[in-house]
Amino acid sequence: MKNLIYIAFMLLCAQSYAGVAVIVHPSNSSSFDDSVINRIFTGKEKSFSNGSKAIPIGQDAGNPVTEEFNTKVLNKSSAQLKAYWSKLIFTGKGTPPKEAANDAEVIQSVSTNPDTIGFISSGSVTGDVKVIKEF
Amino acid sequence: MKLKMTLLIAALTSMTAQAEINISGFASVNGGKVLSGTGAPHYGVEPSFLADYPIVSTYTEDFSFSPESLIGLQVTGDLGDGLSVTGQIVARGANDFDAEFEWAYISYDLNDNWTLQAGKKRLPLFYYSDFYDVGYAYVWMRPPADNYTWQIFNYEGVNLLYNGSVGDWGLSANIYTGREDDTENKLLSDFFFRAPTREIWEDILGGVVNLSHDWLEIRLTHMRYTNKRFINGEPEQWNGKFERDGKFYGLAVNADFGNLFVLSELNRLELDADFDTYMISVGYRFGEITPYIMYSDYEQSGDGDVEKHDTTAVGVRWNFHPSAAFKVQYDRVKDDSFDYAVAGDSKAITFGVDVVF
Repeated sequence: MKNLIYIAFMLLCAQSYAGVAVIVHPSNSSSFDDSVINRIFTGKEKSFSNGSKAIPIGQDAGNPVTEEFNTKVLNKSSAQLKAYWSKLIFTGKGTPPKEAANDAEVIQSVSTNPDTIGFISSGSVTGDVKVIKEF
Repeated sequence: MKLKMTLLIAALTSMTAQAEINISGFASVNGGKVLSGTGAPHYGVEPSFLADYPIVSTYTEDFSFSPESLIGLQVTGDLGDGLSVTGQIVARGANDFDAEFEWAYISYDLNDNWTLQAGKKRLPLFYYSDFYDVGYAYVWMRPPADNYTWQIFNYEGVNLLYNGSVGDWGLSANIYTGREDDTENKLLSDFFFRAPTREIWEDILGGVVNLSHDWLEIRLTHMRYTNKRFINGEPEQWNGKFERDGKFYGLAVNADFGNLFVLSELNRLELDADFDTYMISVGYRFGEITPYIMYSDYEQSGDGDVEKHDTTAVGVRWNFHPSAAFKVQYDRVKDDSFDYAVAGDSKAITFGVDVVF
C-alpha cells in the first residue's frame, strides 16, 4: 500500500514536471520559433517555412498536456482559448485544430503525415517524430 | 428571400449522406432591470435602458429575462475540397424567441489563404459586430450600445476573405459587397418613427484589415452604402433626394498583456451629419475572474440639440465552468439630448450566463 502511494506520488510529480514537446514529421526541416508555433495553433499561419501546408493537431481539452501547452505556448487559459475560437467558428473565419485523444494518437498522425504538427508530453516522445521545441 | 432559405435548408438536409455535418451553438440567459431613470416623457418612453439598439433590447423598471436572452444554433455541412454550407439560426427573447436565419452562406476555400463566401452574413462594421450574439466570446454583458447603434446588421452578398501572415504578424482581411432590404426595420419602426419603416442599404462595399502581433491587435475598416427609406410606404427625402450615401470608418486597437488588457474602438459614420462613436475598456484577469470597466460615447456633429449619449459600465466575468461564463454589469447612461433623446438617463443592472457548445 505504502509503495503504491509512493509510486502514485512519483507519477504525479513526473507528470507535473514532464513538459511539452512540440513535434513534426522527421522529414520536416522547416524553421520554427515560439511565434510560428503559436500562429499555427491559432489558425493565423497556414503553412510551414518549407512551403507545405501546416495542419495542427490538438489534444482533448481534459488532458493535462493540453492545458500546459495552452498556458506555456499559446499564453491563454482554456476559457480564453475557447472564447477566441468561438469568435472564429460563429463568424465563418476559422475552425480549431482537430483533437487527438492522447499522446499516442498524436504520434500516430504526425509520424505518418508530413503536413502535421502536434504536441505531447516530453516523456512520450519516440523516434518516429522530430521534436522541434520543448516548453 | 423565403425561397433562398428553403433552398438552403434543403441543401443542408439533403447532403447529410455525403457531407460531414457539424453542429455547434451558443446561448445567453440574461436578466436585468432599470434601477432609476428619466425615460423620455415627451416621446412616451418610460425609464428604460436600451441595451441593444438594432434588436431594441429594452430593460425597464420591471425585472425581465426577455430583452437579451438568446439561443443560436450553427449547422455546417462540409462537402470536402474546401466547400461548405453554413446556416446559423438565432432565437431572441426580444422577438418572442421566433427563430430566424441570421447567417446562411456557402463558403469555398480557393487555397490555404483565400476563401470566397456568398449568402446572408453579418455586416462587419464594428469589431464585435459579427459575433455580437456570442456573449461567451467577449468579456462584457454586451458590446457598448452607444457604438453598436446602426439599424442594419446583416447583408446579402459576397465576401472574399484572406487569412495568413506577414512576417511575424497575423493578417486577416476581407472585402464584401451586397445589399440589405429590411422590410420592417425594428429599431426605426418600433423605436424611432413608431411607424412601419422599410430600410434599404444598397451598393454596400466594404473592407476590413485585421493585424495581430503578440499582445497587439489592430483592426481597420471602411464601408460605403446608399440609403433609401420608406415610412408608412412613403419614400423619405433628404435634401430633396430619395437617397443618400453613407461612409463608415472604424479603428479598433486591443492590447493584451496577459492579465491586464485594454480594448478600444473609434468610429465615424458620415451621413447627413458626422456620427462619432468610441469606447475604451480595461480589464484584469484574476484567474477565472475578470473585473472590467468601460466607457462609450456617441455624438452627432452640429450645434444645438443633437443626438449625444454616453455610458459608463463596470462589471465582472467569471468562467465558472469550462464552457460557461457568468457576468454581471452595472450601466449608467447619460442622454444629453432633448429632441434627439433616445431613452433618457438610466442606471441599470444586468446579469447572465453565456455558454457555447
